[in-house]
Amino acid sequence: MDLTAFCLKLDEVLDASPGTVQPGQALDQLEGWDSVAVLAFIAMADTDYGVSVPAKEIPECRTVDDLANLILRQKA
Amino acid sequence: MINPLALENRTILVTGASSGIGRATAVLLSQLGATIVAAGRNAGRLEETTHSLEGGGHHAMVFDLADLDAIPGWMAKVVEQAGPLDGLVHSAGIGSIAPLRVLAMPEVEQVMRVNYLSAVALTKEFSRKRTHRKDASIVLISSVAGVVGAAGRTAYSASKGALTAFARSAALELASAGLRVNCIAPAYVRTEMYDAARGSLTDEQLNALVAAQPLGLGEPLDVAHAVAFLLAATGRWITGAVLAVDGGYTAQ
Repeated sequence: MDLTAFCLKLDEVLDASPGTVQPGQALDQLEGWDSVAVLAFIAMADTDYGVSVPAKEIPECRTVDDLANLILRQKA
Repeated sequence: MINPLALENRTILVTGASSGIGRATAVLLSQLGATIVAAGRNAGRLEETTHSLEGGGHHAMVFDLADLDAIPGWMAKVVEQAGPLDGLVHSAGIGSIAPLRVLAMPEVEQVMRVNYLSAVALTKEFSRKRTHRKDASIVLISSVAGVVGAAGRTAYSASKGALTAFARSAALELASAGLRVNCIAPAYVRTEMYDAARGSLTDEQLNALVAAQPLGLGEPLDVAHAVAFLLAATGRWITGAVLAVDGGYTAQ
C-alpha cells in the first residue's frame, strides 16, 4: 500500500488539509479522530480499497500505520 | 371462524423479495393465500424465496429496479404474466453509511434511485387502470431513518423520508381510484442489510442501538405482519399513513 496516498485519504476522513496526516502518527494526537471520523474511515476503506473494515478492531489501532495494516489484513 | 387477513385470489408484487423483509413478506402473503410476483436482482436468491412460498402459481421476475427507464416495460410484462395486480410491496432498498465528508454523489444518486425513485416509477405504473384491480393497495417499506436522523446516514435517511412524503401525496391523488398507499417505518430488523451495517459499528454502538429499541431487535416477520395488515381488508380505511413498526424506537 502507498502510505502517502493512504495518509491523504485520512486527511479527507478527518476533513484536514492535505498533508496533515503523516505515517507513524498516533491517532490520539490527530485532531478530529472521533466517532464520525471512524464512520468516514470505514466508508473510505470500502470505496477506495474495496474492503469491509470491522469497526470492532478500530479501537485497537494506535497509529496511522495500524489503520493501514487493518485494511491490508482485510485484503489478505 | 373468520380471517380478516385472508388474501385469497389476490396477486401481489413484492420487490426486494430475494432477502430480508421482502422475502419474509412474500412468504407470509403466500401463506395468507396470495399469488406472489417475487422481484429481485439475484436469480439464485430469488429462487430460494419462490421455493419457500406456499401454494402454486407464483412468479419470479429477475429485475434491477435501478434501471428506472425499464420499469414501465417490465411492469407491462408482470401484468402480462400474472394478470392485473391487487397489491404492490416495495421492499427493495440499499443501505448507505457515509459521513458527508466522504459521501460521493454517485452513491447518493444510487441510493435515491433504488430506494425512492424506483418507488415513484412503480407506483406510477401500478396506478394505471390496466395494471391494477379494484381495491388495490401499495405498501412502501420506509425506515425510522426517514423520521429520526443519524450521523453518517444522510443519503439513506433522505431516500426513506422521501418515500413517506411521496406516499402521503400519492394516497390523496389515488384515493378516488380506490387505491391505498401507505408506508411502514421499521427500526433495526435482523436482515442481511442489518448484518452489513453491524460490521461498521463497535460493540458499544451496537449495544446502544439495540437498547434504543425497547422491544429489542425486530425480525423480518414482524414487518411482514404489518404489511399484510395494510394490504388485506383490515387496512381498508387506512391510506397515507406511516406505520411505525420499530419496537418503540420512535416512542422516545
